[in-house]
Amino acid sequence: MLKRVSAKIMDALPVFFKKMQRNNKQNRKRAEPLLDSGRRHDGGVTPLHQRDESNLNGFKKKALYSLALLTIFFAIAITRLWFLQIQEGERYSQLADSNRVRALEIVAPRGNIYDRRGREIVTNRPSFNVTWVRESNRIDDAWLKNLTRILNQDASVLLERVRKMSGVPAHIPVRLAEDIDWETVARIENSRMHLPGIKIEVVPLRVYHYGNLASHLIGYLGEISREELDRMDRQVYRGGDIIGKMGLERLREPDLRGEKGREFMEVNALGFEQRNLKGLEPLPGNDLYLTLDMELQKIAEDLMAEGNRAGAVVAMEINTGRMLVLASAPALHLEEFIGGISHRAWQEMLDNPLHPLVNKLVQGQYPPASTYKAVTALAGLSEGIITPESTYYCPGHFRFGNRIYRCWRRGGHGHVDLKKAMAESCDVYFYNVGLKLGVDRIARYARMFGFGALTGIEMEHEKPGLVPTADWKRRRHGEPWMEGETTSIAIGQGFNLVTPVQLNMMTAGIANGGTIFQPAIVERVVDPDGQVIEVFEPNILHRLTGQGRWLKLIRDGMVEAVNGQRGTGRRARLDAEGIIVGGKTGTGQVVRLKQYRGLKDEDIPYRFRDHAWFTCFAPANNPEIAVTVLVEHGLHGSSVAAPIAAAVLNGYFEDKFREQARAVEQEELRSRQPVMLSEDMLIDVGFPVYEDDDTWLPAGQPSH
Amino acid sequence: MLRFDRRLLQHFDWVMLLMLLLVSGMALINLYSATYSADTGVSGIFYRQLLFFTVGLVSIVLVITQDYQKLAKLGFVLYFFTLILLLYTLLFVKTIGGAQRWIDLGFFNLQPSEPAKLILILVLASYYANTEVAGGYRLRDLIKPVILTIIPFVLVLKQPDLGTALILVVIFVTLTLFVKLRWATIGILGGSGLLCAFVGWKYLLKEYQRKRIETFLNPESDPMHHGYQILQSKIAVGSGQVFGKGFLEGTQGHLHFLPERHTDFAFAVWAEEWGFAGSVFFLSCYFFMLIWGVNIAMSAKDKLGTVLAFGCVMLIFWQAVINLFMIMGLLPVVGVPLPLFSYGGSSLLTNMLAIGLLMNVRMRSFPASPVPSPDFRP
Repeated sequence: MLKRVSAKIMDALPVFFKKMQRNNKQNRKRAEPLLDSGRRHDGGVTPLHQRDESNLNGFKKKALYSLALLTIFFAIAITRLWFLQIQEGERYSQLADSNRVRALEIVAPRGNIYDRRGREIVTNRPSFNVTWVRESNRIDDAWLKNLTRILNQDASVLLERVRKMSGVPAHIPVRLAEDIDWETVARIENSRMHLPGIKIEVVPLRVYHYGNLASHLIGYLGEISREELDRMDRQVYRGGDIIGKMGLERLREPDLRGEKGREFMEVNALGFEQRNLKGLEPLPGNDLYLTLDMELQKIAEDLMAEGNRAGAVVAMEINTGRMLVLASAPALHLEEFIGGISHRAWQEMLDNPLHPLVNKLVQGQYPPASTYKAVTALAGLSEGIITPESTYYCPGHFRFGNRIYRCWRRGGHGHVDLKKAMAESCDVYFYNVGLKLGVDRIARYARMFGFGALTGIEMEHEKPGLVPTADWKRRRHGEPWMEGETTSIAIGQGFNLVTPVQLNMMTAGIANGGTIFQPAIVERVVDPDGQVIEVFEPNILHRLTGQGRWLKLIRDGMVEAVNGQRGTGRRARLDAEGIIVGGKTGTGQVVRLKQYRGLKDEDIPYRFRDHAWFTCFAPANNPEIAVTVLVEHGLHGSSVAAPIAAAVLNGYFEDKFREQARAVEQEELRSRQPVMLSEDMLIDVGFPVYEDDDTWLPAGQPSH
Repeated sequence: MLRFDRRLLQHFDWVMLLMLLLVSGMALINLYSATYSADTGVSGIFYRQLLFFTVGLVSIVLVITQDYQKLAKLGFVLYFFTLILLLYTLLFVKTIGGAQRWIDLGFFNLQPSEPAKLILILVLASYYANTEVAGGYRLRDLIKPVILTIIPFVLVLKQPDLGTALILVVIFVTLTLFVKLRWATIGILGGSGLLCAFVGWKYLLKEYQRKRIETFLNPESDPMHHGYQILQSKIAVGSGQVFGKGFLEGTQGHLHFLPERHTDFAFAVWAEEWGFAGSVFFLSCYFFMLIWGVNIAMSAKDKLGTVLAFGCVMLIFWQAVINLFMIMGLLPVVGVPLPLFSYGGSSLLTNMLAIGLLMNVRMRSFPASPVPSPDFRP
């Protein structure tokens, strides 16, 4: 079969070519030799076959094989081409593009952060880096000399930087100097000709206008870690990116980061740029306007720093939940975090007994101490255990079972009603009320204020605190609740734990008549076009319904505590401004060690000293702000914490009155300005013309 | 002046000339693009090749005036002359890029291994034409052709130029299979060939040559060198897609991703810029040119003509196959140019002479015309 086919082709091929030849010589009629097509028809199949077999020249047969060979290889080549160019063409086309097109990412400027009055907290500034593209691997001496002179850098420093990059592909520039000043930039631009390959790269850097103020809240930036890279959107982040590591910089990363720009460059095989293809401008991040008042924040942090204190200061608008001050002391040194913090600085912070890394506002959990008496009082009133008139006698101690619980005042308070109990912080009064209530009822009211739960404030690693119940103790410790422990709970000691932000929420709730607002930090988010894309709205967490009357009584007690003759919070008075403050002190026991009892304050080791609380609201008649101060191991709320709270309140009201005065002034100004200037009048006045300076001229004006 | 039988003019092989012009035309267009640079414009390389092409055309004219029978007789003289050049290359020429291949003639760097291929065909063809053995060649009949092949083979291999050496062997094998061999001879030759391949692999090949073959078999092992070349070549070809990126628009070639883009990888530039359509057109022309060559071999009037023509076709064919398959990633990187297409004076002249020989055989394959042309004067 095969033989016959091959014989036919054999036969046909010369005929085919002969025919072609004949066509070439169209008009020449000549007898064609070896043309046997006629005979093929009359001869039939068999004789033809025999004749071919005998006539075949060996070479011609081989030549036929070679034709087959040629055809096979031709077919393979075409098939392969089809595969590469048609079937896989799209893929190879992309490969070719990824060969030649390099995308450079342009860092987007991060969004700015402002305070409630639009004061800049964090912004960007351009920083100029000097980079060099290694177009050749030789360093010209004159070039290097020029560069060292302009940068005022030792040649060895520059060469070391080049050496460090020796393993990196040549098209990736070497960074020779970072954050150079304007003058150096100008000098480099001027001597462009003598510095081939040198470029100035502009990178936005963070500027902290208030230094370390609100550092825990603002947070810091750092290079993205491997783990973050795995977690984040691969479309957005690449290795080496700068990302928010803490605080709002981290939590608001999606708002602040903006969108990277892209620069597309056609490069050759060596990686050098051939031409720019069209790119994409970076889109700056959204600006954050915080509810914070940085001037108040400054007052609070300065006072905390003055005594080298650890602790927290919180201030909040009681009717909205806007946070005005959120200070955790000691502050972080944000500058140390720029470009990655050193191991040594980090270790120092870890070893610091004041724990600067802990954001004490939400991560610090402390026994609320006497400030918690407000909860016990509300529970007592609401549950009908006490009335404002009911009194208990305080001899300075309280006997329960075979144990004696002391009042903080050894001599006792005598007959104590609610107001006096709050004002003078009588422990015995609340032992009595607490025991009648029982731990679980106290817990219910504590929960209403938001204790024992996360507030949801925009801060990281928030702790919920702890509101103990009998059930909780059984689960946690496997022991039944001892009634004696309730006495501790009633005065905010024992198992109770709260964060400063939670405690301030309680005060705000008492002050505003029972609405617990979620603490808010961000007032609004504004995109680069000025469009407001997110705006603060008060978020109510709880409502203490039907408690208004009782809360008023507690407020009265707290006002008495500040303004009464024997009140514990007298140091928080704001007589100068004519503002009446209501507040409550607290002294949180750290340990109950006999050996330190009766010792002078200075003789107790720092870490065993009591925590000092003060929480307050003002003005008493129509409260608008609540302030809470915690000083870790500050010993006495009345003497240490209260003055700080007073200073914050003072700052707040001073500012408020100033603003009001200014508003009045402006209102007057406006009313005194009856005629609007019309355009005609402006022309009459005429423009001043300065011969030597035409820069002020509006566009279109001829210059002289 | 050369004596010229004007009768031959009637039988001038216009088909082959047309195919030659088509293929060479595309080659020159492609060379123009492959060597064009936006900064310096048209490269001198292009004009050099144009000059070589003109010289080649003149050489073809000279070659076809002489009967190939006469040329075959000259074969052995040329053969020895080539051997001397190869030897000279090996002994006195300084190494360029790790190889001694070129003799500097001032105006032109001659690569003697190129004409060596054609001259080997010439001597082998005349040997086979003059020895007729009934029942096929025995082993002892092959001693002479083997020696004829081995001497230039070793000289070229020592340069070292694996690609050309390989072509010499392939030419010998193809021509010897073409003339009739006994089955025993084929068996023995095949066996010893395999043995040689083994020994050669083990002891004769240079490290870089072995590496190339290993790379081909396992491309991931060496991504930055020869695997890189093959990959870039495949990208160039593949990214051409259906109609190509257009003349002077190939990114792989013009941005230097493609290695050796005007010599060994010239076709990759063509495929990138003209796509599947252009490639198929080019390959079809090439294929037809070769088939026409086979036709010449089949219609030759004597054994010498047949074997000589066949050898010339195979010379071009095998080089083309090795080159194209390398470019398309079907073979390892071997330094074999695409005949009539890749840049290189020696190669172009050699292959044009091969075409000239084919035309020569063709013109003389017709029996003397019974009716003389009116203007014919003996």
